[in-house]
Amino acid sequence: MVEYKPQYYPGSSKVAKNRKKYMDPSYKLRKLRTISDDDLVKLMGHRVPGEAYKSVHPPLEEMGEPACPIRELVEPTPGAKAGDRIRYIQFTDSVYFTPLTPYMRAWMGHTRYRGVDIGVLSGRVPLEARERDLEKVAKDLVETEIFDPARCGIRGATVHGHSLRLDENGMMFDALRRFVFDKKTGEVVYVKDQIGVPLDKPISVGKPIKEEELREMTSEYRVDGVPFREDKEMIGFVQRLHMLRTEAGFDPNKVKGI
Amino acid sequence: MAKYPDKVDLYDDRGRVFASKVPVEALSPLRNPAMQKIISYVKQCVSVNLEGIEKALATGEIGGKWCIIRGRSLKLDLVKNADSIADSLKSCLQVTKDDDTEVKVLKGGKHLLVKVPAKRLNAGVEYTTGFTATAAALCCTIVENFKVNLWDADLVHAAVWGRYPQTMEPLGGNVSSLLSVPQQNEGMGYALRNVPCAHIALITKKNAMNAAALSSILEQAAMFEMGDAIGNFERLHLLGLAYQGLNANNLVYDIVKENSKTGTLGDVAVSTVKRAIADGVIKPLEKKPSGYTAYTTNDLNKWNAYAAAGLLAGTMITCGSARSMQHCPSVFIYFNDLIERETGLPGVDFGRVAGTGVEMAFFSHSIYGGGNPAVFHGNHIVTRHSKGFTIPCVAAAVALDAGTVIYTPEKISGVVGETLSEVPELREPLRYVNEAAVSIHGGI
Repeated sequence: MVEYKPQYYPGSSKVAKNRKKYMDPSYKLRKLRTISDDDLVKLMGHRVPGEAYKSVHPPLEEMGEPACPIRELVEPTPGAKAGDRIRYIQFTDSVYFTPLTPYMRAWMGHTRYRGVDIGVLSGRVPLEARERDLEKVAKDLVETEIFDPARCGIRGATVHGHSLRLDENGMMFDALRRFVFDKKTGEVVYVKDQIGVPLDKPISVGKPIKEEELREMTSEYRVDGVPFREDKEMIGFVQRLHMLRTEAGFDPNKVKGI
Repeated sequence: MAKYPDKVDLYDDRGRVFASKVPVEALSPLRNPAMQKIISYVKQCVSVNLEGIEKALATGEIGGKWCIIRGRSLKLDLVKNADSIADSLKSCLQVTKDDDTEVKVLKGGKHLLVKVPAKRLNAGVEYTTGFTATAAALCCTIVENFKVNLWDADLVHAAVWGRYPQTMEPLGGNVSSLLSVPQQNEGMGYALRNVPCAHIALITKKNAMNAAALSSILEQAAMFEMGDAIGNFERLHLLGLAYQGLNANNLVYDIVKENSKTGTLGDVAVSTVKRAIADGVIKPLEKKPSGYTAYTTNDLNKWNAYAAAGLLAGTMITCGSARSMQHCPSVFIYFNDLIERETGLPGVDFGRVAGTGVEMAFFSHSIYGGGNPAVFHGNHIVTRHSKGFTIPCVAAAVALDAGTVIYTPEKISGVVGETLSEVPELREPLRYVNEAAVSIHGGI
């Protein structure tokens, strides 16, 4: 058997390497800030900190499950076991050198976390999971290097802003003004939760990452950064895949050794 | 003489080997007697909601919700007399005394499971005979047994047939079949694809392996009927049905087992690639400057079957660990993205499953609303594009849900799923198809 090691992502550019790094679950994401559990719960706005998890069905042990070999085999997540509701955290990522592109959120989310439901839309990426599982995942998503306080937004609704110019403080536009730049501390502060409901106390998510650092960390191809077309290996990968899909649709038996 | 050289080992839903080196053609809808029986039963078996008819007659609410004819009602004890109705219905439907007609009384007389004799279907060209014969015979039976007069017979007709023929389908009727009326099929050969996943999950009593198997049999049989599984494409579908739907070589079960405790969707993609390399289905083509290795294959049909089996395993891990059906469209897109990036080879159905996932995600999650996965089927406008490789995974996801949706499979399926789960071949298709494959093995 050929020695096989998961490779996650093709491409020779810096951006491709960053993509590969974030998607590889053996790479530990750098923690850049600490957000308390209670603050995170407040930011998402699904329950009040300390409040018991609401459930959508009884705990699995109580309700009993149908006789199914797959249910017997597959260990439910803690949230599923308890019958938690399914809740979400949603992000908007600016087109200006944020650590993750929308698609990267899905690829990375599925290689790192179990039992998650991620969708990619034009300007927003929701991640849904059982509530207590979601809180665990959300911690990673907000506390580590894949989140830039100024250019990533935690936005449940009115997500618009990913493709607009940054303001004078380098902040992504937010029609609901959920986050503000505190000039005194140099930190980004959330004054509303992800839906836009005002918070009792502002929550700081730390200082924005510097532009030059972001340019090193980003997984976005950009003409004024690392252009997609300059990553020949990546372009070759996409073109080959397109060719194989098309050839296979014509006659799968003719696709041999190419 | 077999057309294709492929042989597979057969396993049951718990990963126990059943038979070795069975030609893949023994698992073809064109050859396997159990599959043909399943397809026949789908046409022949019809469910009757006697309790519903009784209620409709008592209240005058006939032909759909809120459609009440004031002052018109009939008090008939149908449920109490279910046994005698069943006997009369059977003799009315029988062509000859010893034919295969069956009428089974279920739930203390509330429901009937009717099997219309094959002879009636053989004497026509439409699968609707199952429905029409049952509905018409039931009207005759009720009118006869309960001495309904000329002036009330129309009420019985409306309670049984619903608003049909004013509506295209029997709206508000109390006789139902797995198959929809032909006008609701998206194109030629779509009939077997027009079965919502809610029915499949309930018929198989929420056993995810059997749900996937039944769905795969119906989808892939439809591929033959649609004109997809023929010529250059026949082997693609045969291998897909065997590996994804019927757990050939225990591929699905093995991958699920390997990732059952902590595995992510990404881990499932990696396990699938590992197995494909180990079995010689794919091999390295070239190493790129970055160190990335692109893979190639000499058998794209088999690679597709492996990827399809991985897709089902990925659904079972993701939807299974969350005990939630809503995750499945996300699996369809990103499992394929991940496995394509892992190998450089096309994902399941050469991109069609990923595309289906994008649409299904929108129609099951977004501002559009749409519905939960239980309402989707292979004839649905947003999930019909993959050639039989998506819907088995949706059926498995619905089976694995612990109760996260507002409109439950039970509510969507109504009487049909529950009633048809009484048919052993539909409830446990994996077992019966395996047995049948072994029985014809020598002939291929």
